Amino acid sequence: MTTPVITLEQLCWRTEGQVRLDIPSLIIHEGERVALIGPNGAGKSSLLRLISGALTPSGGTVTVLQRTLTPENHPRRSLRERRAWAREIGQIFQGLHLVSRLTALDNTLIGALGHVTGWRSWFRIYSATLVKQGQAALQSVGIVQDQDIRVDRLSGGERQKIAIARLLMQHPKLILADEPTAALDPSAAAEVCRLLLHAAQHATLVTVVHNVSLLPLLADRVIGLQHGKIVFDVPIKEVDEHVLHSLYQTRQVSP
Amino acid sequence: MMADLRITPTPSVASALVRRLRGRRGAALLALTYLLLIVACLVSLVQDGDLSLGRNPWANLLKTAGEFSYPSFLDVWFGDTALEYRSDDGRVLRVENRREVELTYLAGLGRATWVTIVIATLGSLLGALLALPLAMLTAQNLAAPKPLAWLAKGILDVMRSIHTLVFGLVLVGIVGLGPTAGILAIGLHSMGTYGKLFSESIESLDMAAVHAVQSVGAGPLQVFSHAIWPAVLPQFVSSHLYVWEFNIRDSTILGMIGAGGLGLLITEATSLFQWGRLATVLLVVAALVISFDALSRRIRHSLL
Repeated sequence: MTTPVITLEQLCWRTEGQVRLDIPSLIIHEGERVALIGPNGAGKSSLLRLISGALTPSGGTVTVLQRTLTPENHPRRSLRERRAWAREIGQIFQGLHLVSRLTALDNTLIGALGHVTGWRSWFRIYSATLVKQGQAALQSVGIVQDQDIRVDRLSGGERQKIAIARLLMQHPKLILADEPTAALDPSAAAEVCRLLLHAAQHATLVTVVHNVSLLPLLADRVIGLQHGKIVFDVPIKEVDEHVLHSLYQTRQVSP
Repeated sequence: MMADLRITPTPSVASALVRRLRGRRGAALLALTYLLLIVACLVSLVQDGDLSLGRNPWANLLKTAGEFSYPSFLDVWFGDTALEYRSDDGRVLRVENRREVELTYLAGLGRATWVTIVIATLGSLLGALLALPLAMLTAQNLAAPKPLAWLAKGILDVMRSIHTLVFGLVLVGIVGLGPTAGILAIGLHSMGTYGKLFSESIESLDMAAVHAVQSVGAGPLQVFSHAIWPAVLPQFVSSHLYVWEFNIRDSTILGMIGAGGLGLLITEATSLFQWGRLATVLLVVAALVISFDALSRRIRHSLL
């Protein structure tokens, strides 16, 4: 078996006195395509945020790419440690988190910031090689004409493509995507999924998926979450109507 | 319909008032307090015998208005070319070409106007630069250490509460008469206003973009230049123009206390009762303020 990229042990996350996530053990290996599914409030996004280091675990350990977070060491991480952690993890958010007043190319180049240091980067000055790479990354996601247009003038689908181009500049070992196709029409959603998979060629991909029809596109392993617990963890070919139905159905019965 | 009319009680002012205030005790209390304050102010004025308009207000008003309606600059074209000043016994003391005198005055007015613009412009820039670091400390979403945030907020509040004229009077004593005192006075007072406006625009930042830039492993300065600066810049420019606009107005009176600019000419004209000249100066002030306001408003609109 290949090396584990994510290892969760006795992971527990509480907020407002309630246990929101309780995962005794979960291992995700290099190169896997994992989809997290489950009803609203099941803890999918929180799990992603615990893996990305944005949330402090309440108990247990999160090990990502040989670095371990515990409830004790998480708040005391130095800036350098936090940056090193973030650099390896590419993130795609549901809310299209781009800098709206910057151009498509500028937003793409932001992806390189984890690898670029020096005063020039404090003034948004990039080397010619990097700019070429940025242009190539935009071209590979299909944005050829509009590279110098401010992103707030572009459509939702185009903006999500720019987020993927940013990912290409980052070269992360692990990609976490939180509902990357939310608010996109079906054809744009399929296109974004295709580009995301392409960007994740040499990486591990964990995606929170709402639209279950996209599961076969995005995943080879599907994890069902309900009330903060893993209820199933199966290969994609074992996911059928019945499994999905029971996952989403129970929520409506319970309060 | 008729039945409804019969059971309606006769409306009275008192009952209407009571109905309107029902359930709004707080508002009623506030209105009452305000009314009491007005009465107290009027009573104290009357008791001190200060509520008077002087001995012959109408004659004074007519005389002033008459002179005001003939601004002195008209003399450049219509003035007497050989105005004779005579002593009581009829001897000619001095002959004056009114056109030349007023032309010289206009040249001086032009220079004073420029000084006023200089004071407002440099003072505003100074205020903005001083306010920027303090605004970043006070903005709640940037989460600066609490004691530093309080200190910065304290400084900004104190600066905002002290009037430009007070700063001017103090600074004239320190750096001497002239525009430098005016620039510093404008800078120190408007720093408070800038600080408030800047920190509000920082607080309305799109934090999602900030988190996204942080998530690729960018450092604090990189986050500032890539996510914070591009988002707040248009709002900063807009606030800057807005305060600058105010400062053009403020700096027109700074000269009254010797801090340079048009105000000096205003004091001069008023203390010599030269209402015609005052009219000229005020026309220039109005033209300056109105044109700057219009310009700044157009730029601010195009920014959004």
